[in-house]
Amino acid sequence: MSHVSDLALLEVRDIRKIFIDKDFQTPVLKGVNFSLQRGEMVAMLGPSGSGKSTLLSILGTLMRPTSGSLRMLGKELTALAERELSDFRNQQIGFIFQYHHLLPDFTALENVMFPHAGRLWRETRAGRERAAMLLERVGLSERMQYRATRLSGGQKQRVAIARALMNQPALVLADEPTGNLDRENADQAFALMQEIQRETGTTFLLSTHDRELAERCERRIVIRSGIVVDGAEPATSRVEASSGLRVIEGDVAPVIDHTGLPSTSDDRRRA
Amino acid sequence: MRFDLKVALRYLTANRLQSALLIGGVAVAVTVFTFNAALINGLAEFQIDRVVGSSAHVTIEPARIRPALAPAADGTSRLFVSQVALQRREQIKQWRTVEQIIDTIPGVTGVSYNILGTGLLSRGEQTLPITFKGVEPARLGAIAPIDQNIVEGEARLGINDVLIGRKLAEDLGLRIGQPVLITTDQGRTRTLTVRALYATGVDSLDARLAFVNLDSARVMFDLPEGLTEIEIKLADIYAARDVARQLADSTGLEATAWMDKNQRLREALEGQGSSGNIIKMFTLITIVVGVASALLLTTFRRRPEIGIMRSFGISQRFVLSVFMLQGALIGIIGSIVGCFLGWGFSTLLANIGAASGRRLPVDPALGQYDIALLLAAAASIAAALWPARAASRIDPVEAISQ
Repeated sequence: MSHVSDLALLEVRDIRKIFIDKDFQTPVLKGVNFSLQRGEMVAMLGPSGSGKSTLLSILGTLMRPTSGSLRMLGKELTALAERELSDFRNQQIGFIFQYHHLLPDFTALENVMFPHAGRLWRETRAGRERAAMLLERVGLSERMQYRATRLSGGQKQRVAIARALMNQPALVLADEPTGNLDRENADQAFALMQEIQRETGTTFLLSTHDRELAERCERRIVIRSGIVVDGAEPATSRVEASSGLRVIEGDVAPVIDHTGLPSTSDDRRRA
Repeated sequence: MRFDLKVALRYLTANRLQSALLIGGVAVAVTVFTFNAALINGLAEFQIDRVVGSSAHVTIEPARIRPALAPAADGTSRLFVSQVALQRREQIKQWRTVEQIIDTIPGVTGVSYNILGTGLLSRGEQTLPITFKGVEPARLGAIAPIDQNIVEGEARLGINDVLIGRKLAEDLGLRIGQPVLITTDQGRTRTLTVRALYATGVDSLDARLAFVNLDSARVMFDLPEGLTEIEIKLADIYAARDVARQLADSTGLEATAWMDKNQRLREALEGQGSSGNIIKMFTLITIVVGVASALLLTTFRRRPEIGIMRSFGISQRFVLSVFMLQGALIGIIGSIVGCFLGWGFSTLLANIGAASGRRLPVDPALGQYDIALLLAAAASIAAALWPARAASRIDPVEAISQ
């Protein structure tokens, strides 16, 4: 069991979210349970209004749940104060949005560096080098000094992917990351995320409507009407749960140790 | 460079027209502020100069006996009033001691020991009541620059000489070398010769005053030893009150500073000063309103971006700092530009005035640029506070989904 728990990254237990507008209460999440392991690439599926976006906001610590527990890297996130959450988000969580959301007045390089420079209140040589390396990794080394507004849609999304990885987060949350791209660019962006996930062992959780892309993920969590109806636990756990056997080797995502990416901090993701 | 400063600068340069307008707005307000200061202070200086240039900064007079109110044992109060003897003249008898005290005061640039008295000045049938001022000949120009304003005759004050203003001479048809008959309130008469005419431009000096030798004044006004007043000029006119207090304390005499002797001037200056302050206050309000509304619009426009920053863990303090810095930069740049404009504008007007021969009371040196800079920058930072707080408190989820 210890092997499995070492791999646990995120445990979501009975998360509920009720939006209150005057006297009107809207329960959006009605007791969500699932877990993520290190290095997984997981798709989150569900119809519009099923609570995917709300769940991503809660997982990303941008929104607090009404009740429930959210444990990540051994920390109970619901107990953290705003400032601690902000720090945690900065260092452990990366976001990729449907509409890239780059800062238009900054260059590609500055956009990628932003999470790092913003935390330290200054730009560092190490930060600049890592940002340059990430942009090279996403195939944009020629476009580093371009303003975000001068990049194409696919390029912008690749800059956004690089930015999400800047501080070497343990978890990248992607909300419809290919939803605004054409097929070719969508495939390219997905392939890139998949490669990086394999290289770095970063956990990716993607919400998507694209069944084809979801099929290419290792696991699919399905949400309907505010609860997880399928894919809540990794395959290993499900096997374990159904068979009652202790599983030593599970089909978790491969964790490869040679990333080729320079680090700005100690390597915290290796198991 | 600090990263928050870099972001603030980038935001300011990203929208150049808006930033230019904002900085221009602050600059105009600071121009008004500094020009207003140069004008009001220049005017005050001009008025003070006219008054203070030809009068004493501190005047020492005999102590007056004032009615005193003293509480009595039965709970009532008693008013002590003493009748001033009509025969006895109020005078400064121990003036030699006062002289020694004055010698110890730093910043004294001139002293005059005077006997003032009133009387009639007659020539033929014409008689005019005027004030006579007995001074030591060597100190003729110690207070009002009489010796430098002689228009006819010579600045000599012999025992039988009298110096009068040109205006008075015209009124009486007097010329240099002519004798005049003087009858003092003490009933003494004496004939003096007009030695010189002066014109200071100050009416009270030119039309109603005559200078005589202190020794003749002693005889004319029955004051063999004492003086009626001691006048002092100072290097720093604004030290007058302190010097007056010091002298009053050490001599027991009445010592009055120029600003307390010239009630009307003081009221005029205070009136101008407060209307100037109201204008200054409005310029500051303009800055606050302008900067606050523009920055509020900016934060609103940049809501999604702020949401993004917060989503990758940029702290609220960082966001706050970015917007505060924008306000500070606008304020500092705007007020520097405004100071230059205000200085240029008042210099231009002062030069035009000088060229046309009519001196305009604008003094570019009195524009209070340091205060303007400080206040405008402070106003801009204060104005940025509200928008910056609003920006830092933006809910990232809401902002991103905008």
